[in-house]
Parts: sequence; structure tokens; C-alpha cells
Amino acid sequence: MSDATGVIHDIGYQRYTGPRLGRRQVFGALYGHGLRTVFGLGRSAKAKIFPWLVVAVVTVVAAGLTAVRSQLGQVVLTYAQFADAMSWLVIFFVAVAAPELVSRDLRSGVLPLYFSRPLPRGDYALAKLAALMTALWLLLGGPQLVMFLGAAFTTSRGMRGVWDELLDLLPGLLYAGLWAVVFASIGLLVASLTGKRAFAAGGIVAVFLMTTPVVGVLSIMPSRTVNELAFLASPSSLVSGVGTWALGDLLTQGQEGGIPIGGFGPVYAVVAVLLVAACVSLLLLRYRKVAAR
Amino acid sequence: MSTVTWITARGLFGRSRFLMLLPLPLVLIGLAVLCRSLGVDPGQWGPPVLVGLGLAVVLPVVALIVGTGVLGAEIDDGTVVHILTKPLPRWQIVLPKLAVAAGVSAVTVAVPLYVAGVLADSVRLGLALVAASVAGALAYSALFLALSLVSRRPVLLGLVYVLIWEGLLGRFVDGTKVLSVQQWVIALADRIAPTALLGTTVSVPVAAVLTALVTVGFTALAVDRLRSFSVAGETS
Amino acid sequence: MTALHTQPAADAPAATTSTLDLAGVSRWYGNVVAVNDVTMRLGPGVTGLLGPNGAGKTTLLHMMAGFLAPSRGAVTLDGEPTWRNPGVYRRLGLVSEREAVHTFLSAYEFVLASAKLHRLPDPEAAARRAIELVELEGAQGRRIGTYSKGMRQRTRVAAALVHDPQVLLLDEPFNGMDPRQRLHMMALLHRLGDAGRTILFSSHILEEVEQVSGTVQVMVAGRLAASGDYRTIRRLMTNRPHVFAVRSTDDRALAVALMAESSVSGVELGRTGLTVKAGDYGAFTRALPRIALRHGIRVRQLLPEDESLESVFSYLVEA
Repeated sequence: MSDATGVIHDIGYQRYTGPRLGRRQVFGALYGHGLRTVFGLGRSAKAKIFPWLVVAVVTVVAAGLTAVRSQLGQVVLTYAQFADAMSWLVIFFVAVAAPELVSRDLRSGVLPLYFSRPLPRGDYALAKLAALMTALWLLLGGPQLVMFLGAAFTTSRGMRGVWDELLDLLPGLLYAGLWAVVFASIGLLVASLTGKRAFAAGGIVAVFLMTTPVVGVLSIMPSRTVNELAFLASPSSLVSGVGTWALGDLLTQGQEGGIPIGGFGPVYAVVAVLLVAACVSLLLLRYRKVAAR
Repeated sequence: MSTVTWITARGLFGRSRFLMLLPLPLVLIGLAVLCRSLGVDPGQWGPPVLVGLGLAVVLPVVALIVGTGVLGAEIDDGTVVHILTKPLPRWQIVLPKLAVAAGVSAVTVAVPLYVAGVLADSVRLGLALVAASVAGALAYSALFLALSLVSRRPVLLGLVYVLIWEGLLGRFVDGTKVLSVQQWVIALADRIAPTALLGTTVSVPVAAVLTALVTVGFTALAVDRLRSFSVAGETS
Repeated sequence: MTALHTQPAADAPAATTSTLDLAGVSRWYGNVVAVNDVTMRLGPGVTGLLGPNGAGKTTLLHMMAGFLAPSRGAVTLDGEPTWRNPGVYRRLGLVSEREAVHTFLSAYEFVLASAKLHRLPDPEAAARRAIELVELEGAQGRRIGTYSKGMRQRTRVAAALVHDPQVLLLDEPFNGMDPRQRLHMMALLHRLGDAGRTILFSSHILEEVEQVSGTVQVMVAGRLAASGDYRTIRRLMTNRPHVFAVRSTDDRALAVALMAESSVSGVELGRTGLTVKAGDYGAFTRALPRIALRHGIRVRQLLPEDESLESVFSYLVEA
């Protein structure tokens, strides 16, 4: 049998030895994929129903506001007030998107696949968070842009009017960013706790809705300090509080509006920062634990 | 107790998820006690606590989580096949599940609302809220149970109803209030114990009839849908 | 009947037997045809439903079990439709492929609940018998959540058997079982089949089907490619030569003689005997003794080499 020979033929398989993209690209890929997931892009038609329903509603509302303004010359909602008025839709959107981003991966057990790549644990969570924030900002900012375009094209004061309008829009977009950061952090944290999308959605809505009446109750307490601090109790009124303090008249544009936070503006800002920081660190902690499992 | 009831209840209480429901009623009671002890005028704290928190948030959210859980969770993980491969008329599966869902939601909501009602006004208001929330729990549970047989994403559909229809449109478009379980519950409670705390534009007979209609209608729909329950195919 | 219901004894003969009939059954999802015009009749005994992944086995089983409406055609159990007719579950048991069980119950509770839902007169006894049948007595008090995959599978079989159904449908029943459990399950299915129950189980693993049942229904790409005893099916495939392993007192002489025979298309002389390829099964088996006698050769062994299900199957799938 000594003449038995064997040979493995070279049919062209080889290891990849070329350059590899770095951490930035991994993060970017996850972020891009997350952003597409939120809007159901690249997924079945069923996955698109709920996100685009919300997008449709906010766009229609913005278009309606623009029409009213151009016909009657009456500003029903300013750019920033638009975000406030849409808060329930934002909550619903978070309840749709956040479980889709993180609960699905938990349920189907694909996390070990992710974490067997050169991907730091935290990057996974942060990429998803960034995707959700971007999506929320687009959700609120897009309609504002529609309103801006409507106002810019119908303004009777030429370029001057467009410029004024733009100055009104920019704080509105900034404010939308604040909404996005706060709501995405809370929503993603809640969703990362369970693999069941149904429970995650229910949990997110419960957290946001339950806190709103608490504000209502605290603001009628027989203490001025408590009343002025009441808006800390709910994420949406907390955002309004920060907006009122930081952007002030830019938000309300001289109209009735804003919320009575007295001189506690800085407190609101600090609490908002702390809240977001706490949510993000809990999220990172959560993924350290999930990954260790 | 029927076997279906037993399995459903075990499925609901046997897991720690059930504890997630507890904070909702506790916050409700906590706020009522706080307001009462500080001597705030009930006319001021009544509406936000009783309606804003109790009837508009705790009742629908609890009913949504429980109502889609009793059948939707089983459909989701496939265990529903075990109950369906039995020679039971389908109403004998739907009704016990509806009873468990409505019962659990009613107790979770009615107890804190009773306490809050008594603290805000009188025992009579407390009892009125109990009666109204039981009726509301039935209607909501029937609705959400049927949703879990109509769609694969019953929770989101339910949220569309609760958040967008009742919450958003109910506030801005008055016409939608006629078709809102929340408004019917308020109308019923206000009829049993007339106070200044509760108010709605929906008339009591309309509310009573529609509540009954929704409960019966969606239960019938659920029974029919369960009769033609299809296991999702590999390729669909 | 009542005695039978309380005691799901596998070896007791069935008082009545049931027949499951499929008449021109098709099922499509949009543009995809999962099951295409299948007609079959399942009577007492064990039948294997065989086919590669995606052939439509599960869809077909779901239609049989009343969990899917046929897009066209009818599925009937003793003349009654199975769709929208929960009454058929008195005579029908299903073990589905998804290993979903109520993990918060113990096996005994789970099987007992099934017995109660069937309204059996003595549910406790029925549950105990069913659990004995699948040899799960040792673990019956523990939560199903703590079980291994094979134990969960057996729990579900016990629940499906608790009312001693005339018809039992199993979707991939051997998945996740270890070899010993596999043998036990095969023996159980055999006993049930011999006792006059109608058993249908699906599988894509050929040796399982081969060991449990001689009767197969072969599905390929949604269509029923063959049905009946697989050896017979093999014999019907005349355009593919049959291969026999022959050992005799004088292999070389026999090979020469066989080559003259018109039914033989090839002979290979190996170290342990002859490998004969024959075009016509019947003609060859009749000719061999005659030739051997004429040449004074004693045939020691005649084995059809590719009678295995594997060859039947690969033939049907490739055809």
C-alpha cells in the first residue's frame, strides 16, 4: 500500500488576508442596519405598516398645519410645539421601534453571533441607540421641514421672511433632538429587558403613560416648589421643561406656551442629562450581562 | 373551574412577568393617598388620578397586556395547538380565556380605583368606579382577545387603538369619543355616582349599549376566528 | 369504547379503525404551491411520510389535522371533514413539529390537563397510562421547563396519546431524541400500528422511516411522488437497474452464465461475491435458480442491494 498517494487539489479557496475595516465600520454597519430596521426597510411589508403609519400621521398633521397657516395666516403650532403635540405618536413609535431593534435579537439568540465578532459589547448597544435617536429625530424633524418649506414658499416678505422662518426652525430641530435623545434612551433600555416584543412594547407605553398623570397630580400640590418641579416626573414634560429653560421664547415665539418651571430651569437640564446618562449606563450594563450569559 | 381556565391562570400567574403589572395600581393608590393626606381639593386631583391615570391609562394598559397575553402568547409560542387539538367547541376555549383576562384586569384596576374613589368623594363613587371598570375590563379584554386572533402583532394594534384613537383623536376630535371604551366607562361611572369629577359627552344609554355590543361582538369574532385557526405555513 | 378510552394500552386492539382520506388536496400561499393535488388514503398501520425539507410534509400534516384549510380538495376522517370540525379530535391525535409546551406545568399536569380537555371518564388513570407509555414516570413531577428536548417530545406524544386516538399524526417525531429513545419510540409506533391504529409520521431521515414502516408516502416538491410498500415501489421503477449481491459456490462460472441472460445488464466480480445489475426484477429472480441448477452451482446468498429506501428515494427525487 506504500504506493498509495493522495493529493488535495488547489481549487482556489484561500483565507482572507487583505486589510480589514475597523471598529468604525462595524459600528456604522450596525447603525445603518438599525436605522433601516426601525422603518422596516429591507423587510417584509408587514414590518413597514406601523412605522410608516406614524410617519404618515405626523406628515399629514404637518401638511395640515402648513395649509391652515398659508390660508388663514394663523400659526396653530410652532415648530417646537409640534413635537409636544405629537408626543403620543412618538411614544407609540418608540414602542414599535425599540423592541424591533433589541428584543428580536434577544429572542432569537443571535447575540453570541454578534459578540463573536471584533465588536465591543457597548458598541452594539450604542449603535442601536444612535439608530433609534436618529429615527426619532427624523420623525419629528421631517414634518418640521415640511412646515418650514410651506412657510418659506408662502412668505410675503421675500428672503427676509425665509431667514426669519429658518431661525424659528433651527431651535425646533434642536428641541426635536432633545426629544429623540431622552425617549430613545428610556425606550431602548426598557426593550432590552425582555425578548418578547409584545411585552417590551407594553412596558414602554406603561412607563411613558403612567408618568404623565403623576405630573398632573404633583402640579396641583399645595406647594409652589413641588408644582414647579412636578414636570420632572415624566419624560415628556421633562423635555418640555428643558426646552422652556434653554430655548425659551424661541420655542414659543411669543405665543402662550411653555410650562411654569419657575427658576428651576438648570435643575431640569441637569436631571435630563442624568436621566439619559443613567439609562445609557444601565443599557451598557445590561449588555455586559447578556453577553456573559 | 374548567381546565382551560386553570391552564390560562397558571400561564398568567406562574411567571414573574405578572409582577410587571403591579406598579400601575400601586402608583394610582399612592397618588390618591398622597393627595388626600396633603388635603388637596378632590375637585383638582380627582380628574387626573381617576380619569387621567386610572381609566385612561391603567385600565387599557392592564387589559391590553393581559388580554393579548391569555391567547396571543400561546399563539406566539405555539402551545395553543395543545388546546386546539381537543374536541371542544371553540367557544369553550374563548369564554374561559376571556373570563380570566377580564377578571384579572378588573381586579387589578377596580381595587385601586375603589380606594381612590372613596378618598376622592364617597363609597358610592368608589363602587361606581368598580362597576364601570369591570364593564370596561370586559369590553377591552374582548377587543384585545379578538385582536390577538386577527393579527400577529396584537399589542401594537391595541396600542394604536388606545394611544391614537382614544388618546390622541379622543382629545382633538370629539366625534371619535362615541366609539371609545374609555368614554363609555366614564359615562357609566358618572351615571351611577354623579359627581363633578367625571364628565363626558357620551350619553349613558349609548355607552351601555355599545359596551355590551363590543363585548359580545368581539367575543363572537374571536370564537369564529379560532374556529378557522390556521397554523402559519412554512412558506407564508 | 369506554374501557379503551380510560386505558390507552398500546397493544389492545382498536375497537374500530379509522381512515383518513385526502381527495385532490392542494394548498398554496400566494404564488407558492406547497401541496399540489395530493390524493391518498391512510388506513390502519404505520405509514411514513417522506420527503426532503420543504416538500410540503408539514403543510400536508397540518391540513390532515385540521389546522389549515385546503385551498382545493378535501381532507376527511371517516367521511367527516377535519377543517373547522373540532369533533374529529376525539379520534385524532397530533404531535406537531414545534417543540412548544407549557413549560410552567409538570408533565403529569400537562397530560392530565389534556385528558380532562378530552372529557375522559377517568383522566388521572389515562394520564398515568400515557406517561408510562412514553416512560416518563421518573420525571413526571418536574416542570417541563427543566426537561431535555427528547423528554419534551415524549411529553407531547403522551399528551397526544392520552385519549387513545385511532389516528395519530406525528411531525418529525424523532427529532432531538437519543438513540435509545428513538428505538423506544419506534417500538411504540409499531405496537400502535399493529393494534390497528392509523399512524402517520413524517421524516426526512430515511433510516427512521425504513425501520418503522414498510409503507411510505413520498412527497417531492409538493406532489405525491409514490405511495405504498417501498420495495414494491422500487420494483416498479423498471428503467433503473436493480442491483443484487450474489454469493455462490462458484462465482466466476455463475458470472459467465449470468452474462448470457437477457435480463442481466452487468456483472461485477468482487472479492466477496458477485454484484449483478438486472433490468427486470421478476425475470432475473426467476432466471437465477434455473441458471444455477443448469450449471450445478449452489447459490448461497441473494440480496437485493439497493432495496433500501435511500435508493428508492434518491431515484424519485432525481426523476
